[in-house]
Amino acid sequence: MKKLLLGIVALALAGGVVAQSAAGDPKVYKIGAILAMSGQASWYGTVMSQGIKQAVEEINAKGGVNAIPLEAVIDDHKSGNAQEGVSAMNRLLSIHGVKIVLTSFSAPTLAIAPLADQNQVLLLNGGGVSNNLVGASKYIFHNRSLAADLGRAAALHAQSMGAKRMAVLHWKNDAGDNIVRAVQPMWEKGGGSIVAVEAVPQGATNMDTQIAKVRSANPDIVALWMFAPEVGIAVKRLRELGMKQPLIGVEYTANDAKIAGEHGEGYLFINDYFQPSAEFPWSQQFAQGYERRYNAKPEFYAANYYEAVYVVAELLRRARAQGGDYLNGEVLKKALYSNPKFDSVYGGQMVFQPNGVAFKRVGLFKVEGGQNKFQKYIEVR
Amino acid sequence: MDLVLQLLVNGLVNGSHYALLGLSFGLIFGTTRITHFAYGSLYALSAYACWWVTAKLGLPLVAGFAAGIAAGAAAGLLSYGLLYRPFERAGSPPLVILIASLGLFIVVENAIGIVFGTDTKVVPSPPASLFLVGPAAFTSVQLAQLGALVVIVLGLWLFLSQTRFGRAVRAQTDNPEMATIIGIDTVRLSALVFALGSAIAAVPACLILVKDGGTAYMGFLAVFMGFVAVVVGGIGSLRGAVAGGYALGLVESLGLWKIPSEWQSTIAFVVLFMVLLFRPQGLFAGRQ
Repeated sequence: MKKLLLGIVALALAGGVVAQSAAGDPKVYKIGAILAMSGQASWYGTVMSQGIKQAVEEINAKGGVNAIPLEAVIDDHKSGNAQEGVSAMNRLLSIHGVKIVLTSFSAPTLAIAPLADQNQVLLLNGGGVSNNLVGASKYIFHNRSLAADLGRAAALHAQSMGAKRMAVLHWKNDAGDNIVRAVQPMWEKGGGSIVAVEAVPQGATNMDTQIAKVRSANPDIVALWMFAPEVGIAVKRLRELGMKQPLIGVEYTANDAKIAGEHGEGYLFINDYFQPSAEFPWSQQFAQGYERRYNAKPEFYAANYYEAVYVVAELLRRARAQGGDYLNGEVLKKALYSNPKFDSVYGGQMVFQPNGVAFKRVGLFKVEGGQNKFQKYIEVR
Repeated sequence: MDLVLQLLVNGLVNGSHYALLGLSFGLIFGTTRITHFAYGSLYALSAYACWWVTAKLGLPLVAGFAAGIAAGAAAGLLSYGLLYRPFERAGSPPLVILIASLGLFIVVENAIGIVFGTDTKVVPSPPASLFLVGPAAFTSVQLAQLGALVVIVLGLWLFLSQTRFGRAVRAQTDNPEMATIIGIDTVRLSALVFALGSAIAAVPACLILVKDGGTAYMGFLAVFMGFVAVVVGGIGSLRGAVAGGYALGLVESLGLWKIPSEWQSTIAFVVLFMVLLFRPQGLFAGRQ
């Protein structure tokens, strides 16, 4: 009788274990990522992938998600090439069968959006900044503040400084053009004038001709609507060629700071603000883990992709709780909007808006003594 | 008018840079008839050698330049000995050699990125001085770009006109078959030209490293501009390569006086198309 009871208990326990494994569970949750792993902008891919790998390692060390390990499958769009992005997406879909892709850069993200719709793949963008990315796919979300919002915030600050004549140096691509289009009407409505708008191709190192035209326009302030490493080069050359006007932009990475050197002093910029602090232990834990692994301080791009993996992990938990075949964009999207608040490694929580963009606080920074000194928070809406 | 003067100064500086690229690329291409696209990655390698010696070893900038030039010469020599010469010996057609060169370009470029990282490299250097000529401004590095061209052109002219090797290079450039018939060791000469051309390319590479920083991918634009300067000036003409470089720099800079700057990257192509269409032999062909 005792043996029979033990047998029943054992069967019940076994049944319980089996019941924990849902029908739609894979052996491993594969998270695809399409990043700039080669080419001129491969610095971005390096830091983004490092953030992803760290998050995956941490989550797996704690038993994975739903007791299933995560696996990052990182592919390459070769520094923003749309065609390469599509090839990478096809590889992720056909070879790895991914249903979640962390994407970066505007052009490849726009190019893979139809494939995401077709295959019900959730896209999470932590790097692309073009406003055209909003609504590009039914399943796209962004935990990166978009460029036009950052530009508007920078222009607001420039107005508060009393500047009237703005000259613009911008990336000749979707991201740069978006900021130009967003800021110009706002600036002119505020009584200012745009005295020069000079385009620089992404990847250009020589922008002396554009700077000559900016210089001859004699502006009160020079706006840099561009991203690393061109920001560093622009700051360096503007100062070397004798321009003393305030400079303001939307990014200033460690790479930019290295290029600009002492010429970066006084440079103002608005950006996603990642700064580890004792107030937010998760931010410190991430920063310490990152420094230990990669012997470098984490960039906000690393923070965005690190935090994105945690968002995905939470979505997988929520979606699986719904039961059935939960690994598809539609279910994951519903899981996201069931509670659009997620813990942010930046501190506090980020809230995904109905347009898919997470509202996070952004910071105004000034370069002082070679350091990016936080000045104040600016709300981007 | 102030802007035109500034654009003219910029055009001369950029033209000097392109002229050095054209000179070095043209020296190799004109003498050996090898389309050395891997030139771009060797250009980047030279800049990285300069960066390593100055930023990592802490040696002065002049030592960095010397290391960059030495690395360029060695890489040029090795690329000929290990890659191009075996293909030549096998009688491979120029297209095969060109593809092999592109392959080497990609391998070296990626290897630099993997070994040294993909962030921009900068060298510790004194702040660039600013000079003003009326309303036009230029920095000490830009002045060095102009000066480097003058020194190298003079040195190369002396080498080609006053030395036995130099005269042999000219003979091979004019007529490779005849050079072989009269007993010139064209293999040895090609190796020398690869070393010399790559060493010359190292100078603009190191100057760009100081001015704008260097990346593993900096060589693409260099080889493209060097190639365009050679085609515009006339293949086989070193004077033409220099003139082609200046034509490119001035058109690219002065062209933006009235044209929006977003068209800048297309100007080199427009110049190339115009020359190929109306004067395919180049602007200065036959005036070596």
